[in-house]
Amino acid sequence: MSEVIVITSGKGGVGKTTSTANIGTGLAKLDKSVVMIDTDIGLRNLDVVMGLENRIVYNLVDVVEGNCRMKQALIKDKRYPNLSLLPSAQTRDKTAVNPEQMVKLIEELRTEFDYILLDCPAGIEQGFKNAIAAADRAIIVTTPEVSAIRDADRIIGLLEANEIHKIDLIVNRLRMDMVKRGDMMSIEDVIDILAIDLIGAVPDDESIVIATNQGEPLAGDSSLAGTAYMNICKRILGEEVPLMNLEVNNGFFAKIAKLFK
Amino acid sequence: MEKQPVIIKNNKYGLIVILDQDLEFEALKEKVAEKFRASAKFFGETQIALCFQGRKLSPEEEAVLVETITGNCMLQVISIVDEDETREEAMKKAVEARTDREGLMDLQDGRFYKGTLRSGQVLESETSIIILGDVNPGARVISKGNVVVLGAMKGNAFVGAAGNESAFVAALSMDPMQIRIGDVIARSSDKVQKKKKKAEDVPKIAYVEDGNIYIEPITKEVLNDINL
Repeated sequence: MSEVIVITSGKGGVGKTTSTANIGTGLAKLDKSVVMIDTDIGLRNLDVVMGLENRIVYNLVDVVEGNCRMKQALIKDKRYPNLSLLPSAQTRDKTAVNPEQMVKLIEELRTEFDYILLDCPAGIEQGFKNAIAAADRAIIVTTPEVSAIRDADRIIGLLEANEIHKIDLIVNRLRMDMVKRGDMMSIEDVIDILAIDLIGAVPDDESIVIATNQGEPLAGDSSLAGTAYMNICKRILGEEVPLMNLEVNNGFFAKIAKLFK
Repeated sequence: MEKQPVIIKNNKYGLIVILDQDLEFEALKEKVAEKFRASAKFFGETQIALCFQGRKLSPEEEAVLVETITGNCMLQVISIVDEDETREEAMKKAVEARTDREGLMDLQDGRFYKGTLRSGQVLESETSIIILGDVNPGARVISKGNVVVLGAMKGNAFVGAAGNESAFVAALSMDPMQIRIGDVIARSSDKVQKKKKKAEDVPKIAYVEDGNIYIEPITKEVLNDINL
Protein backbone atom coordinates (compact mmCIF):
# COMPACT_ATOMS: atom_id res chain seq x y z
CA MET A 1 0.00 0.00 0.00
CA SER A 2 1.54 3.27 -1.03
CA GLU A 3 1.52 6.40 1.09
CA VAL A 4 1.28 9.95 -0.23
CA ILE A 5 3.08 12.48 1.95
CA VAL A 6 2.95 16.21 1.37
CA ILE A 7 5.86 18.24 2.72
CA THR A 8 4.72 21.75 3.44
CA SER A 9 5.37 24.79 5.63
CA GLY A 10 3.45 27.86 4.58
CA LYS A 11 6.47 30.10 4.87
CA GLY A 12 9.15 29.94 2.22
CA GLY A 13 12.79 29.18 2.78
CA VAL A 14 12.44 26.92 5.80
CA GLY A 15 13.69 23.81 4.01
CA LYS A 16 10.75 22.07 2.34
CA THR A 17 12.65 21.18 -0.80
CA THR A 18 15.80 20.16 1.06
CA SER A 19 13.73 18.02 3.38
CA THR A 20 11.88 16.42 0.47
CA ALA A 21 15.16 15.61 -1.27
CA ASN A 22 16.67 14.12 1.86
CA ILE A 23 13.62 12.15 2.93
CA GLY A 24 13.25 10.80 -0.61
CA THR A 25 16.89 9.77 -0.67
CA GLY A 26 16.72 8.30 2.82
CA LEU A 27 13.64 6.21 2.05
CA ALA A 28 15.30 4.99 -1.15
CA LYS A 29 18.34 3.98 0.90
CA LEU A 30 15.99 1.99 3.11
CA ASP A 31 14.95 0.03 -0.01
CA LYS A 32 11.60 1.67 -0.60
CA SER A 33 10.51 2.70 -4.05
CA VAL A 34 9.94 6.43 -3.92
CA VAL A 35 8.78 9.15 -6.27
CA MET A 36 9.20 12.82 -5.45
CA ILE A 37 6.87 15.27 -7.17
CA ASP A 38 7.83 18.92 -7.40
CA THR A 39 4.48 20.75 -7.26
CA ASP A 40 6.07 24.18 -7.26
CA ILE A 41 5.11 24.96 -10.85
CA GLY A 42 7.01 27.98 -12.17
CA LEU A 43 9.66 27.93 -9.46
CA ARG A 44 11.02 24.43 -9.69
CA ASN A 45 14.12 23.55 -7.74
CA LEU A 46 13.79 20.06 -6.34
CA ASP A 47 15.58 18.86 -9.48
CA VAL A 48 18.46 21.25 -8.74
CA VAL A 49 18.80 20.07 -5.17
CA MET A 50 18.77 16.47 -6.44
CA GLY A 51 21.34 17.26 -9.14
CA LEU A 52 19.00 16.06 -11.88
CA GLU A 53 18.26 19.32 -13.66
CA ASN A 54 20.06 18.34 -16.86
CA ARG A 55 17.81 15.32 -17.40
CA ILE A 56 14.46 17.06 -17.57
CA VAL A 57 12.69 16.57 -20.87
CA TYR A 58 9.03 16.43 -19.86
CA ASN A 59 7.40 17.67 -16.68
CA LEU A 60 4.31 17.45 -14.51
CA VAL A 61 2.27 19.82 -16.65
CA ASP A 62 3.13 17.78 -19.76
CA VAL A 63 1.79 14.67 -18.06
CA VAL A 64 -1.40 16.40 -16.91
CA GLU A 65 -2.00 17.88 -20.34
CA GLY A 66 -1.31 14.59 -22.06
CA ASN A 67 1.77 15.73 -24.00
CA CYS A 68 3.67 12.69 -22.80
CA ARG A 69 3.23 9.46 -20.87
CA MET A 70 4.02 9.32 -17.16
CA LYS A 71 7.01 7.03 -17.81
CA GLN A 72 8.60 9.63 -20.08
CA ALA A 73 8.43 12.41 -17.51
CA LEU A 74 9.73 10.43 -14.52
CA ILE A 75 13.46 10.89 -14.00
CA LYS A 76 15.32 8.01 -12.38
CA ASP A 77 17.88 9.16 -9.83
CA LYS A 78 21.49 8.63 -10.84
CA ARG A 79 22.41 7.08 -7.49
CA TYR A 80 19.35 5.05 -6.50
CA PRO A 81 17.37 3.10 -9.10
CA ASN A 82 14.30 2.97 -6.84
CA LEU A 83 14.12 6.77 -6.54
CA SER A 84 12.33 8.87 -9.17
CA LEU A 85 11.52 12.53 -9.63
CA LEU A 86 8.60 14.14 -11.43
CA PRO A 87 9.84 17.68 -12.07
CA SER A 88 7.57 20.67 -12.34
CA ALA A 89 7.30 23.04 -15.27
CA GLN A 90 9.34 26.21 -15.21
CA THR A 91 7.53 28.10 -17.95
CA ARG A 92 3.99 27.83 -16.56
CA ASP A 93 2.30 28.81 -13.30
CA LYS A 94 0.28 27.16 -10.55
CA THR A 95 -3.01 27.52 -12.43
CA ALA A 96 -1.78 25.11 -15.12
CA VAL A 97 -2.96 22.25 -12.91
CA ASN A 98 -6.03 21.80 -10.71
CA PRO A 99 -6.55 19.58 -7.64
CA GLU A 100 -8.66 17.00 -9.53
CA GLN A 101 -5.87 16.51 -12.07
CA MET A 102 -3.36 16.06 -9.24
CA VAL A 103 -5.52 13.39 -7.62
CA LYS A 104 -5.76 11.54 -10.93
CA LEU A 105 -2.02 11.80 -11.55
CA ILE A 106 -1.17 10.49 -8.10
CA GLU A 107 -3.66 7.62 -8.37
CA GLU A 108 -1.67 6.52 -11.38
CA LEU A 109 1.59 6.58 -9.40
CA ARG A 110 0.20 4.79 -6.36
CA THR A 111 0.36 1.42 -8.08
CA GLU A 112 4.08 1.70 -8.74
CA PHE A 113 5.63 3.31 -5.68
CA ASP A 114 5.71 2.74 -1.92
CA TYR A 115 6.05 6.42 -1.12
CA ILE A 116 4.96 9.48 -3.06
CA LEU A 117 6.50 12.68 -1.69
CA LEU A 118 4.98 15.99 -2.69
CA ASP A 119 7.18 19.06 -2.41
CA CYS A 120 4.67 21.81 -1.73
CA PRO A 121 5.21 25.44 -2.77
CA ALA A 122 5.18 28.19 -0.15
CA GLY A 123 1.87 29.94 0.40
CA ILE A 124 -1.70 28.76 0.74
CA GLU A 125 -2.98 29.41 -2.77
CA GLN A 126 -3.60 27.20 -5.78
CA GLY A 127 -0.19 25.49 -5.57
CA PHE A 128 -0.81 24.47 -1.97
CA LYS A 129 -4.31 23.24 -2.81
CA ASN A 130 -2.92 21.16 -5.67
CA ALA A 131 -0.25 19.64 -3.46
CA ILE A 132 -2.52 18.59 -0.60
CA ALA A 133 -5.40 17.36 -2.76
CA ALA A 134 -4.23 13.75 -2.86
CA ALA A 135 -2.12 13.56 0.30
CA ASP A 136 -2.70 10.87 2.95
CA ARG A 137 -0.49 12.56 5.50
CA ALA A 138 1.56 15.70 5.88
CA ILE A 139 4.95 16.66 7.22
CA ILE A 140 5.23 20.29 8.31
CA VAL A 141 8.68 21.84 8.16
CA THR A 142 9.33 24.82 10.37
CA THR A 143 12.31 26.67 11.77
CA PRO A 144 12.28 27.84 15.39
CA GLU A 145 11.24 31.36 14.38
CA VAL A 146 7.94 33.02 15.25
CA SER A 147 7.09 33.85 11.64
CA ALA A 148 7.64 30.28 10.42
CA ILE A 149 5.69 28.88 13.35
CA ARG A 150 2.80 31.26 12.75
CA ASP A 151 2.57 30.09 9.14
CA ALA A 152 2.92 26.46 10.16
CA ASP A 153 0.02 26.91 12.56
CA ARG A 154 -2.16 28.31 9.78
CA ILE A 155 -1.17 25.45 7.49
CA ILE A 156 -2.08 22.85 10.12
CA GLY A 157 -5.50 24.47 10.42
CA LEU A 158 -5.97 24.32 6.65
CA LEU A 159 -4.82 20.68 6.47
CA GLU A 160 -7.25 19.69 9.20
CA ALA A 161 -10.02 21.50 7.36
CA ASN A 162 -9.10 19.40 4.32
CA GLU A 163 -9.42 16.15 6.27
CA ILE A 164 -5.70 15.45 6.57
CA HIS A 165 -5.28 14.46 10.19
CA LYS A 166 -1.93 12.68 10.26
CA ILE A 167 0.38 15.66 10.53
CA ASP A 168 3.96 15.45 11.77
CA LEU A 169 6.49 18.14 12.45
CA ILE A 170 10.11 18.65 11.47
CA VAL A 171 11.90 21.42 13.33
CA ASN A 172 14.64 22.50 10.96
CA ARG A 173 17.77 24.58 11.39
CA LEU A 174 17.94 24.19 15.11
CA ARG A 175 20.97 25.68 16.85
CA MET A 176 21.40 24.05 20.20
CA ASP A 177 23.96 26.60 21.34
CA MET A 178 21.42 29.40 20.81
CA VAL A 179 18.64 27.39 22.45
CA LYS A 180 20.90 26.89 25.47
CA ARG A 181 21.50 30.61 25.74
CA GLY A 182 17.76 31.19 25.54
CA ASP A 183 18.04 33.07 22.22
CA MET A 184 16.18 30.48 20.19
CA MET A 185 12.99 28.59 20.80
CA SER A 186 13.53 25.00 21.85
CA ILE A 187 11.83 21.99 20.27
CA GLU A 188 9.55 21.83 23.30
CA ASP A 189 8.49 25.46 22.82
CA VAL A 190 7.62 24.80 19.18
CA ILE A 191 5.61 21.68 19.96
CA ASP A 192 3.87 23.53 22.76
CA ILE A 193 2.50 26.06 20.27
CA LEU A 194 1.74 23.77 17.34
CA ALA A 195 0.45 20.79 19.34
CA ILE A 196 1.33 18.12 16.76
CA ASP A 197 3.67 15.11 16.82
CA LEU A 198 7.38 15.68 16.25
CA ILE A 199 8.91 13.39 13.67
CA GLY A 200 12.40 14.85 13.82
CA ALA A 201 14.66 17.81 14.45
CA VAL A 202 17.40 18.81 12.05
CA PRO A 203 20.33 20.90 13.27
CA ASP A 204 21.63 23.93 11.41
CA ASP A 205 24.51 22.24 9.68
CA GLU A 206 27.01 23.61 7.15
CA SER A 207 27.19 20.28 5.42
CA ILE A 208 23.55 20.60 4.32
CA VAL A 209 24.28 23.88 2.53
CA ILE A 210 27.22 22.28 0.78
CA ALA A 211 25.22 19.17 -0.12
CA THR A 212 22.33 21.23 -1.46
CA ASN A 213 24.62 23.27 -3.68
CA GLN A 214 26.28 20.16 -5.01
CA GLY A 215 23.00 18.39 -5.72
CA GLU A 216 23.89 15.50 -3.43
CA PRO A 217 21.32 14.87 -0.66
CA LEU A 218 23.13 13.81 2.49
CA ALA A 219 20.52 11.65 4.22
CA GLY A 220 22.26 8.68 5.74
CA ASP A 221 25.81 9.99 5.74
CA SER A 222 27.80 10.68 8.89
CA SER A 223 26.96 14.39 9.27
CA LEU A 224 24.55 15.46 11.99
CA ALA A 225 21.91 16.59 9.52
CA GLY A 226 22.37 13.43 7.45
CA THR A 227 21.76 11.27 10.52
CA ALA A 228 18.80 13.41 11.55
CA TYR A 229 17.13 12.93 8.14
CA MET A 230 17.81 9.19 8.19
CA ASN A 231 16.14 8.99 11.61
CA ILE A 232 13.14 10.85 10.20
CA CYS A 233 12.90 8.31 7.37
CA LYS A 234 12.97 5.44 9.85
CA ARG A 235 10.22 7.10 11.87
CA ILE A 236 8.15 7.47 8.69
CA LEU A 237 8.46 3.70 8.29
CA GLY A 238 7.11 3.34 11.82
CA GLU A 239 10.37 2.54 13.63
CA GLU A 240 10.90 3.96 17.09
CA VAL A 241 14.10 5.98 16.95
CA PRO A 242 15.03 8.15 19.93
CA LEU A 243 15.81 11.83 19.29
CA MET A 244 19.53 12.21 18.82
CA ASN A 245 21.77 14.65 20.60
CA LEU A 246 21.96 17.64 18.30
CA GLU A 247 24.70 19.46 20.15
CA VAL A 248 27.67 20.53 18.12
CA ASN A 249 30.62 20.91 20.39
CA ASN A 250 32.16 24.19 19.38
CA GLY A 251 33.38 25.29 22.79
CA PHE A 252 36.83 26.50 23.65
CA PHE A 253 38.08 23.12 24.78
CA ALA A 254 36.68 21.43 21.73
CA LYS A 255 38.62 23.83 19.55
CA ILE A 256 41.84 23.19 21.46
CA ALA A 257 41.21 19.46 21.22
CA LYS A 258 40.84 19.90 17.46
CA LEU A 259 44.23 21.64 17.28
CA PHE A 260 45.92 18.67 18.86
CA LYS A 261 44.23 16.13 16.65
CA MET B 1 -50.29 53.50 -14.55
CA GLU B 2 -52.84 51.86 -12.33
CA LYS B 3 -52.76 52.95 -8.73
CA GLN B 4 -51.27 50.30 -6.50
CA PRO B 5 -53.72 49.24 -3.79
CA VAL B 6 -50.93 48.09 -1.45
CA ILE B 7 -47.47 49.60 -1.20
CA ILE B 8 -44.78 48.29 1.11
CA LYS B 9 -42.08 50.68 2.25
CA ASN B 10 -39.36 49.85 4.67
CA ASN B 11 -37.16 51.69 7.09
CA LYS B 12 -34.38 50.29 9.26
CA TYR B 13 -36.65 48.73 11.81
CA GLY B 14 -39.75 47.69 10.06
CA LEU B 15 -42.25 47.91 7.27
CA ILE B 16 -44.76 50.57 6.44
CA VAL B 17 -47.72 49.22 4.55
CA ILE B 18 -49.61 51.89 2.67
CA LEU B 19 -53.17 50.80 1.94
CA ASP B 20 -55.69 52.02 -0.59
CA GLN B 21 -58.49 54.00 0.97
CA ASP B 22 -61.35 53.03 -1.29
CA LEU B 23 -60.85 49.35 -1.93
CA GLU B 24 -63.19 46.78 -0.41
CA PHE B 25 -61.55 45.30 2.71
CA GLU B 26 -61.78 41.70 1.45
CA ALA B 27 -60.13 42.69 -1.83
CA LEU B 28 -57.52 44.68 0.03
CA LYS B 29 -56.74 41.64 2.19
CA GLU B 30 -56.21 39.60 -0.99
CA LYS B 31 -53.84 42.24 -2.36
CA VAL B 32 -51.85 42.33 0.91
CA ALA B 33 -51.51 38.55 0.89
CA GLU B 34 -50.40 38.59 -2.73
CA LYS B 35 -47.83 41.29 -2.10
CA PHE B 36 -46.24 39.61 0.89
CA ARG B 37 -46.26 36.17 -0.72
CA ALA B 38 -44.32 37.60 -3.62
CA SER B 39 -41.67 39.16 -1.36
CA ALA B 40 -41.47 36.37 1.24
CA LYS B 41 -38.04 35.24 0.06
CA PHE B 42 -36.73 38.77 0.08
CA PHE B 43 -37.89 39.54 3.60
CA GLY B 44 -36.56 36.33 5.13
CA GLU B 45 -37.22 35.53 8.76
CA THR B 46 -36.49 38.87 10.35
CA GLN B 47 -38.32 40.34 13.28
CA ILE B 48 -40.01 43.59 12.36
CA ALA B 49 -42.29 46.29 13.59
CA LEU B 50 -45.27 47.06 11.38
CA CYS B 51 -47.12 50.24 10.59
CA PHE B 52 -50.27 50.71 8.51
CA GLN B 53 -50.91 53.93 6.62
CA GLY B 54 -53.40 55.45 4.24
CA ARG B 55 -56.55 53.98 5.70
CA LYS B 56 -58.33 53.89 9.02
CA LEU B 57 -58.48 50.35 10.26
CA SER B 58 -60.62 48.97 13.03
CA PRO B 59 -58.76 46.83 15.56
CA GLU B 60 -60.39 43.73 14.05
CA GLU B 61 -59.32 44.70 10.54
CA GLU B 62 -55.80 45.36 11.76
CA ALA B 63 -55.62 41.94 13.37
CA VAL B 64 -56.86 40.29 10.20
CA LEU B 65 -54.22 42.06 8.11
CA VAL B 66 -51.36 41.12 10.49
CA GLU B 67 -52.50 37.54 10.34
CA THR B 68 -52.61 37.74 6.57
CA ILE B 69 -49.04 39.03 6.51
CA THR B 70 -47.56 36.49 8.89
CA GLY B 71 -49.48 33.76 7.12
CA ASN B 72 -47.94 34.57 3.77
CA CYS B 73 -44.29 35.11 4.62
CA MET B 74 -41.79 34.18 7.31
CA LEU B 75 -41.62 37.62 8.93
CA GLN B 76 -42.27 37.84 12.64
CA VAL B 77 -44.29 40.89 13.54
CA ILE B 78 -43.16 42.04 16.96
CA SER B 79 -45.35 45.07 17.29
CA ILE B 80 -47.72 47.32 15.42
CA VAL B 81 -46.91 50.98 15.58
CA ASP B 82 -49.44 53.76 15.26
CA GLU B 83 -49.06 56.24 12.49
CA ASP B 84 -47.51 59.44 13.83
CA GLU B 85 -44.42 61.63 13.67
CA THR B 86 -42.19 59.46 15.81
CA ARG B 87 -43.09 56.35 13.92
CA GLU B 88 -39.53 55.27 13.21
CA GLU B 89 -38.47 56.03 16.76
CA ALA B 90 -41.24 53.84 18.10
CA MET B 91 -40.44 51.03 15.68
CA LYS B 92 -36.83 51.16 16.71
CA LYS B 93 -37.72 50.93 20.36
CA ALA B 94 -40.07 48.05 19.84
CA VAL B 95 -37.53 45.98 17.91
CA GLU B 96 -34.60 46.77 20.17
CA ALA B 97 -36.47 46.04 23.37
CA ARG B 98 -37.38 42.65 22.01
CA THR B 99 -33.96 41.71 20.62
CA ASP B 100 -32.25 42.89 23.79
CA ARG B 101 -34.30 40.56 25.85
CA GLU B 102 -33.46 37.66 23.58
CA GLY B 103 -29.81 38.70 23.54
CA LEU B 104 -29.65 38.38 27.28
CA MET B 105 -30.99 34.85 27.04
CA ASP B 106 -28.15 33.99 24.67
CA LEU B 107 -25.52 35.36 27.03
CA GLN B 108 -26.57 32.86 29.64
CA ASP B 109 -26.10 30.06 27.13
CA GLY B 110 -22.76 28.68 26.06
CA ARG B 111 -21.32 26.44 23.44
CA PHE B 112 -18.29 24.22 23.60
CA TYR B 113 -15.50 23.99 21.09
CA LYS B 114 -12.88 21.26 21.27
CA GLY B 115 -9.54 21.69 19.56
CA THR B 116 -6.84 24.21 18.98
CA LEU B 117 -7.87 27.38 17.16
CA ARG B 118 -5.04 28.05 14.75
CA SER B 119 -3.81 31.14 12.99
CA GLY B 120 -6.42 32.37 10.52
CA GLN B 121 -9.30 30.49 12.13
CA VAL B 122 -12.25 32.43 13.51
CA LEU B 123 -14.78 31.11 15.98
CA GLU B 124 -17.87 33.28 16.20
CA SER B 125 -20.93 32.77 18.34
CA GLU B 126 -24.01 34.59 19.56
CA THR B 127 -23.62 32.77 22.85
CA SER B 128 -20.71 32.40 25.23
CA ILE B 129 -17.89 30.06 24.19
CA ILE B 130 -15.89 27.51 26.15
CA ILE B 131 -12.79 26.30 24.31
CA LEU B 132 -11.16 23.00 25.22
CA GLY B 133 -7.77 23.75 23.72
CA ASP B 134 -5.55 26.68 22.86
CA VAL B 135 -6.25 29.85 20.92
CA ASN B 136 -3.05 30.37 18.95
CA PRO B 137 -1.64 33.71 17.77
CA GLY B 138 -3.53 34.90 14.70
CA ALA B 139 -6.77 33.13 15.65
CA ARG B 140 -9.92 35.02 16.70
CA VAL B 141 -12.76 34.22 19.04
CA ILE B 142 -15.81 36.44 18.80
CA SER B 143 -18.75 36.13 21.16
CA LYS B 144 -21.63 38.30 22.27
CA GLY B 145 -21.19 36.67 25.65
CA ASN B 146 -18.11 35.50 27.50
CA VAL B 147 -15.15 33.34 26.47
CA VAL B 148 -13.48 30.75 28.67
CA VAL B 149 -10.35 29.03 27.36
CA LEU B 150 -9.31 25.79 29.04
CA GLY B 151 -5.86 26.15 27.58
CA ALA B 152 -3.66 29.02 26.46
CA MET B 153 -5.19 32.23 25.13
CA LYS B 154 -2.57 33.61 22.72
CA GLY B 155 -4.74 35.07 19.99
CA ASN B 156 -7.46 37.70 19.72
CA ALA B 157 -10.65 37.67 21.72
CA PHE B 158 -13.67 39.89 21.22
CA VAL B 159 -16.32 39.41 23.87
CA GLY B 160 -19.52 41.28 24.56
CA ALA B 161 -19.52 41.84 20.82
CA ALA B 162 -22.92 43.53 20.95
CA GLY B 163 -21.42 46.24 23.15
CA ASN B 164 -21.76 44.52 26.49
CA GLU B 165 -18.91 45.66 28.73
CA SER B 166 -19.68 43.28 31.54
CA ALA B 167 -18.43 40.37 29.44
CA PHE B 168 -15.13 38.68 30.31
CA VAL B 169 -12.40 36.41 28.95
CA ALA B 170 -10.87 33.77 31.19
CA ALA B 171 -8.02 31.39 30.37
CA LEU B 172 -5.74 28.92 32.11
CA SER B 173 -2.81 30.67 30.48
CA MET B 174 -3.46 34.26 29.48
CA ASP B 175 -1.14 35.76 26.90
CA PRO B 176 -3.45 37.39 24.37
CA MET B 177 -2.54 39.45 21.35
CA GLN B 178 -5.62 41.65 21.76
CA ILE B 179 -8.68 41.60 23.92
CA ARG B 180 -11.75 43.59 23.11
CA ILE B 181 -14.60 43.76 25.57
CA GLY B 182 -17.55 45.72 24.25
CA ASP B 183 -15.91 48.81 22.81
CA VAL B 184 -12.76 48.70 24.96
CA ILE B 185 -9.65 47.32 23.31
CA ALA B 186 -6.40 46.27 24.96
CA ARG B 187 -3.34 44.90 23.24
CA SER B 188 -0.33 43.01 24.51
CA SER B 189 2.72 45.02 25.53
CA ASP B 190 5.28 45.82 22.86
CA LYS B 191 8.14 44.63 25.02
CA VAL B 192 9.15 41.08 24.23
CA GLN B 193 8.27 39.14 27.31
CA LYS B 194 10.83 36.97 28.98
CA LYS B 195 9.53 33.46 28.89
CA LYS B 196 7.25 32.81 31.79
CA LYS B 197 8.00 29.87 34.00
CA LYS B 198 5.18 27.35 33.92
CA ALA B 199 4.65 27.74 37.66
CA GLU B 200 4.05 31.49 37.34
CA ASP B 201 1.36 30.90 34.77
CA VAL B 202 -1.88 31.05 36.70
CA PRO B 203 -5.42 31.16 35.33
CA LYS B 204 -6.45 34.73 34.65
CA ILE B 205 -9.53 36.71 33.76
CA ALA B 206 -9.87 39.87 31.71
CA TYR B 207 -12.69 42.30 32.47
CA VAL B 208 -13.58 45.97 32.12
CA GLU B 209 -13.55 48.37 35.03
CA ASP B 210 -13.82 52.16 34.61
CA GLY B 211 -13.30 51.86 30.88
CA ASN B 212 -10.05 49.89 31.19
CA ILE B 213 -9.37 46.24 30.66
CA TYR B 214 -7.79 44.49 33.63
CA ILE B 215 -6.21 41.06 33.56
CA GLU B 216 -6.07 39.51 37.01
CA PRO B 217 -5.47 36.06 38.46
CA ILE B 218 -8.77 34.36 39.11
CA THR B 219 -9.58 34.74 42.79
CA LYS B 220 -12.77 34.62 44.80
CA GLU B 221 -12.82 38.42 45.07
CA VAL B 222 -12.52 38.92 41.33
CA LEU B 223 -15.18 36.33 40.58
CA ASN B 224 -17.55 37.96 43.08
CA ASP B 225 -17.41 41.16 41.04
CA ILE B 226 -18.44 39.44 37.81
CA ASN B 227 -22.03 40.04 36.80
CA LEU B 228 -23.60 37.49 34.55
